[in-house]
Amino acid sequence: MSGLVRVTIDDRTVEVPAGTLVTDAARAAEVHVPIFCSHSKLPPLGACRICVVEVGTPKLGPDRKPVVGPDGNPVIAWMPKVQTGCTTPVSEGMVVRTQSPTAVKARKGVMEFLLVNHPLDCPVCDEGGECQLQDLAFAFGHDFSRMDEAKRTFESEDLGPIVKKEANRCIVCMRCVRYCDEVMGEDALTAHQRGVHTEISSFNRQPLECEQCGNCVEVCPVGALTALPYRFKARPWDLRQHITVCPYCSNGCSVRLGVRGMEILRARGTEFRGVNQEYLCVRGRFGYGFVNAGDRLSAPLVRSGDSLQPASWDEAIAYAATGLRDLAATHGPGSIAFLGGEKLNAEEQYLFQKLARGVLGTNHVDARTRFAAKVGGAALLKAAGGGRPSIGFEDLGNVQEALVLFDDLQGESPLAQAVLVRGQHQQGVHLTVAHPRRVKLARPKFRGEWLGARPGSEVALVNALTKAALDLGDPAGLPAGAAAGLAGLKSALASWTPERIERETGVTATAVAAGAKRLREAERKAILFGRAVAEHPQAPALLQAIENLGWASGAITAERSSVMYAGPQNNSQGALDLGLVPDHLPGYVPVGDAAAREPFEKSWGRAIDPQPGLTAREILEAAAEGRVKALWIASDHLLRSAPDRALVEKALAKAELVIVNELFLTATAQAAHVVFPVAAFAEKDGVVVNCERRLQKSTRALSPRRGARADWEVFQAVAQALGAGWKYRTSEDVFREMARLVPGWQGASWAALLPNGWTWQAVRVEPSLAPAEAPAPSGTGHWVLAGGTLFAQGSLSGRAETLAKLAKHARAFLNGAEASKLGLAEGDAVTLESPAGRLTLPYELDDSVPPGAVFVPYALAEAELNRLGAPSGAGLQVKLGRAPAGVPAGAAGNR
Amino acid sequence: MSHAPVMPVEAPATLEWPENVRSEVDEAISHYPVRRSAVLPLLWIAQRTWGWVPPAALRLVAHTLGLNEPEVFGVATFYTMFNLQPVGRHHLQVCMTLSCSLMGADRLFRHLESRLGIGHGETTSDGRFTLRRVECLAACGGGPCMQVGLEYHENLDETKVDALLEKLK
Amino acid sequence: MSNGPLLFKDIDTPGLTRLETYRKQGGYETLAQVVGKKPPEECIEIVKASGLRGRGGAGFPAGLKWSFVPKNSPKPKYIVCNADESEPGTFKDRELMEKNPHLLIEGVVLAGYAIGSNQGYIYFRGEFDYVQKIVDAAIAEARAAGLLGDNVAGSGYRYEIHTHLGAGAYICGEETALLSSLEGFRGQPRLKPPFPAVEGLYACPTVVNNVETLMNVPHILRHGAQWYRQWGTERSAGTKVMSVSGPVKRPGNYEIPLGLPMRTLIESPEYCGGMRDGMKVKAVIPGGSSVPMMPASQLDTPLDYESLNAVGTFLGSGGMIVIDDQTCVVDALWNMIRFYRHESCGKCTPCREGTYWMAEILERLEKGEGRETDIDLLADVADNILGKSFCALGDAAAMPVQGALKHFRDEFEYHVQHKRCLVNRRRQSVTEVPA
Repeated sequence: MSGLVRVTIDDRTVEVPAGTLVTDAARAAEVHVPIFCSHSKLPPLGACRICVVEVGTPKLGPDRKPVVGPDGNPVIAWMPKVQTGCTTPVSEGMVVRTQSPTAVKARKGVMEFLLVNHPLDCPVCDEGGECQLQDLAFAFGHDFSRMDEAKRTFESEDLGPIVKKEANRCIVCMRCVRYCDEVMGEDALTAHQRGVHTEISSFNRQPLECEQCGNCVEVCPVGALTALPYRFKARPWDLRQHITVCPYCSNGCSVRLGVRGMEILRARGTEFRGVNQEYLCVRGRFGYGFVNAGDRLSAPLVRSGDSLQPASWDEAIAYAATGLRDLAATHGPGSIAFLGGEKLNAEEQYLFQKLARGVLGTNHVDARTRFAAKVGGAALLKAAGGGRPSIGFEDLGNVQEALVLFDDLQGESPLAQAVLVRGQHQQGVHLTVAHPRRVKLARPKFRGEWLGARPGSEVALVNALTKAALDLGDPAGLPAGAAAGLAGLKSALASWTPERIERETGVTATAVAAGAKRLREAERKAILFGRAVAEHPQAPALLQAIENLGWASGAITAERSSVMYAGPQNNSQGALDLGLVPDHLPGYVPVGDAAAREPFEKSWGRAIDPQPGLTAREILEAAAEGRVKALWIASDHLLRSAPDRALVEKALAKAELVIVNELFLTATAQAAHVVFPVAAFAEKDGVVVNCERRLQKSTRALSPRRGARADWEVFQAVAQALGAGWKYRTSEDVFREMARLVPGWQGASWAALLPNGWTWQAVRVEPSLAPAEAPAPSGTGHWVLAGGTLFAQGSLSGRAETLAKLAKHARAFLNGAEASKLGLAEGDAVTLESPAGRLTLPYELDDSVPPGAVFVPYALAEAELNRLGAPSGAGLQVKLGRAPAGVPAGAAGNR
Repeated sequence: MSHAPVMPVEAPATLEWPENVRSEVDEAISHYPVRRSAVLPLLWIAQRTWGWVPPAALRLVAHTLGLNEPEVFGVATFYTMFNLQPVGRHHLQVCMTLSCSLMGADRLFRHLESRLGIGHGETTSDGRFTLRRVECLAACGGGPCMQVGLEYHENLDETKVDALLEKLK
Repeated sequence: MSNGPLLFKDIDTPGLTRLETYRKQGGYETLAQVVGKKPPEECIEIVKASGLRGRGGAGFPAGLKWSFVPKNSPKPKYIVCNADESEPGTFKDRELMEKNPHLLIEGVVLAGYAIGSNQGYIYFRGEFDYVQKIVDAAIAEARAAGLLGDNVAGSGYRYEIHTHLGAGAYICGEETALLSSLEGFRGQPRLKPPFPAVEGLYACPTVVNNVETLMNVPHILRHGAQWYRQWGTERSAGTKVMSVSGPVKRPGNYEIPLGLPMRTLIESPEYCGGMRDGMKVKAVIPGGSSVPMMPASQLDTPLDYESLNAVGTFLGSGGMIVIDDQTCVVDALWNMIRFYRHESCGKCTPCREGTYWMAEILERLEKGEGRETDIDLLADVADNILGKSFCALGDAAAMPVQGALKHFRDEFEYHVQHKRCLVNRRRQSVTEVPA
């Protein structure tokens, strides 16, 4: 077969693709060749020398064919020196010896050298028990030591609050430095000095100013770099380890939790597992602390007068069910609404809306509490290609052109950013980043293009890119539905002249045209967008514009290319897929589609209302006015997440029945009539859908906090109390029902999701090309640029001790010119004011913030941006002023 | 938190290229199709300008070339000739490798130690001399050899080196 | 007064560093005759046929290296002159460049022309600041005279040379480490393949040649391959500049015809004139500290690549260190291993840790704290480095140990038994052992 070569390693022969490295071929042949400096994400280095083997190739005659010896086998010409397997690609007929006396002596020699200066720290070293050096020394080294000279030593030091460095233990494999450079793009670490005095550190050994992700700790094969939060806490054999799906963003990284008893002690990645393959961001790695936080709710609460009182589960269930039944009977199902659910797992999301639609008969269901505009339930899927096969992270790292629209991936999709950084470094991925600030991926070191579009000009920029793409010719492969709108789109886009583009976006027409050309001409490409688009006040137009661009550039149709939406929460995608929207059932079945509705109605034993329900904002308005009387809020701190905080307060005050599923007594929970204490992600089995539309099973790592129950159990209990005949014994039962009913999910099962998940791909909504117009922004005032920070202080991350330590206080960043206009000096505070409210924050200088804008990293406790009218600042304009002296900076805390 | 910096931690934390070396900096960068290659030339210019390479100079070189500061730090510390601590006015570097050793370098070094009252890597209290042992200077036929700054002095013995020190103010 | 048949011929002519004097000696005539006139491939063939081998230490046939440069590559090509001269015992390039910089420039341009390059770099070790200035001045003269620039000697061919100063790292004499350093990285060697001729500086085809190698090129291209072979042997053609150090009467650089017996170089009044002060030769390291030492009994070995290989050592850089009979071999070896420990770049385990370990063992042996097992241990450590390290520096640290143990094991045993040196004239005058 072309492309494959036969290699013999010891007594095993395998066929592997040409170009495979000997160490990887050995793995395929199940021959253990040890490695240290080699890493699956890094190019071969050949530095540690532990993988040395004897290598021979068939001797070739003058006819270029192998010379055959008297025994009938090819004569092997052995290379005079041993070779490192990790740098040697295989060739046809290659023979490798790992157990010959030469190979064994060489390897034992290298292992002995590794231990020359390595201290006998095992009893006090956290790596003990899972240390590659221990394991490989035991497997491949001598069983004696001849080295009793004094060893070279360094001082141990903390490289910040996360990373502990014991340089004595370092074997100079350089994984940490290279991973930080080539995968994180952070370059925080360097090797300095040389020879045995080589030491890994930061600039002049000062504290690390990096993302504190801890990936360097993860890849260190010895105990030179260890995590301070875990220091001296446990030995690996003390821990049960379970692989869960990270509860934070929608990248869906696999997190291996180490649990002892009832406490999570640490989280790690796993090489070769999951979409992240060992990479974790600082939240994934250090953000689990909330699970064991002291203030976890452990008993249901029921309102009695002005306060919430602990109650039994039976009491609380009865209270909720009775309230719901009575309200539905008196005021109709339309008086009940269900909000939130982006952080529930898929089974729970399904039951949440089944409870709403199938038991109570209401379509007022919406998880998208952060949205500012009214966005159709299938609009996000439609913009991303409608459910067509789309690429995952692996392919993302191999595209030729990636366009990132308006998100700072650093805080939104750290894995996507790492994939692109590594792709840029190793595969030549070219990046185009559209963002008003020069965010990390737009920095010169990544050699991409930065389109610094003015805030408020998002629709304009995407339209301009689309026009430039269409100017290169009609795109091929348009389905009928899209092709029909092409002419209309082209004529609508005609008004985007170079002059208009530059005037409205601040980006030159040349840069726009170049960006569109790169995208169009790339064979493999990706367009990424996230909450900056979804939560935008002009979201419907912006989504249509992105869909237009997706077709015009070929991103939707080309092989190994796509448009990808990455929502903010771990199961944002699931919420959309499973109908936590007012106008669609699970699987994007429109509620008005009688035929498609029927299987659900049959299964649920009830007719489903064909009228779309209210969106989250409309629900809150209706609740504030008394038309909606009951609100069930799951996994959502509504007071912080909804754009209009004042509206939420009114709604909560007015509603007659507020049910909240929560882990903590947040301010939203405090306004409820019934609070159900629920299980955290690590305390339940369930499926989560990531931004690749990949279903992944998260494994239960520990029992729920005493008194807490999984959300799905709560929904079932209430449903049963309402008379529904639900009989799920486990959440897997729920999943089986989903796999039968949800279009596009047929064939899925928990078993099929192991080990790497399963991506659903089915066209669920028809494409269209249509003009996407939005009025140019007219307001005055400064645009609020909000970006994700990984050290956020949301209700989960704020309770993770390590993250809280890293979190910086909220500040408002302005460039020097803007600051002087306002008369701001270092140490001053600035007020941000909008019709919705006001915030006062300390000011800090940052010349990368463009004029006319103020940068406020969101989700920090003192800067609840939704007090100003937009939880992540999308489309928000404020009036700035110098705060009078003595006004304290900050706003209410995160409860 | 214990940090033992490799270089002194100082304030102010920034330096700029003085006017009179700017053209030299630009000239050096122009010699290479890739800016990064100018790291060593710029570090030499910095050392000549300030007598040693302060941390701020490393940062300046990094910013001038668009490199990360840790990278430039890693490069500068790899080589022996960049002084990351201040040195005396006269940097005495005595070759100790075999050929010079065969011709008496060890004795010469002991003599300098006792004459100046300092050891390897140390500076006299008046800031006049820094003494260091170095490896082969490619002056093996003229050993013992000592570089003063960047100047070669060969065929030394105790008398000649004493006379040399007299002249170095 | 340095002398020799070719490179050192008339090298002390006053003013030779200046263009007009160099021209008077026939300088740049080859340039005028070859560039734009002789086909580049022919130049490569002539150098191949001449048998010129790399004079920096590896001895790789120069013309063959040039022929590895892909002819049809669209990438720019580079000549990089390795003027990093740091091999202990070697000081020939320094004198050659100091006295005859124009010959180097002419060699670089001709080599560049042969491989289709338009840009050359000369990488000096950091300590050669003053040499760089001399070469820079010569380059400026050459440029002003139209011998460098857009129109070399009116041929329409473009060539430019820039000089580059290192900063103190022996490892940067290794060609890929030199390229790393020239590119602005820590000077650590890189994987081969790809070889620099295919992917070198900035991943472009690059030929790295030693100073002395390049300085032979103008002569060879002028007079032809056969002419060059008037000196030397069949497989070691031409001349070699030997740097002789140690207690001989006249240490210095001597250009010899390859094949000259070592005894002649050391003892003949034409060359070093024998040992000083009544000392006798105990051992000779023929080609820089990285090659195994030879005992005095092998003094009649001819100085050429093959003959030295046959007795288990190498011609190397030609940096000959003569060790007298009053010097302790263990002490001398310890001195050399300290050098390798100091210069190890740290990239690979065997060299980084092995040089440290060997230096520690030798320190104990020299200080009288050695044990019986130390000698075999030392040999085994060296054996575990040889051939296992990332680059030749590891081998360069192991080979001196092997050579010393092979020929002078008795001195090591003496140290173990008697806790002191057999002989050590240097130690008599030094009360403390250096660290």
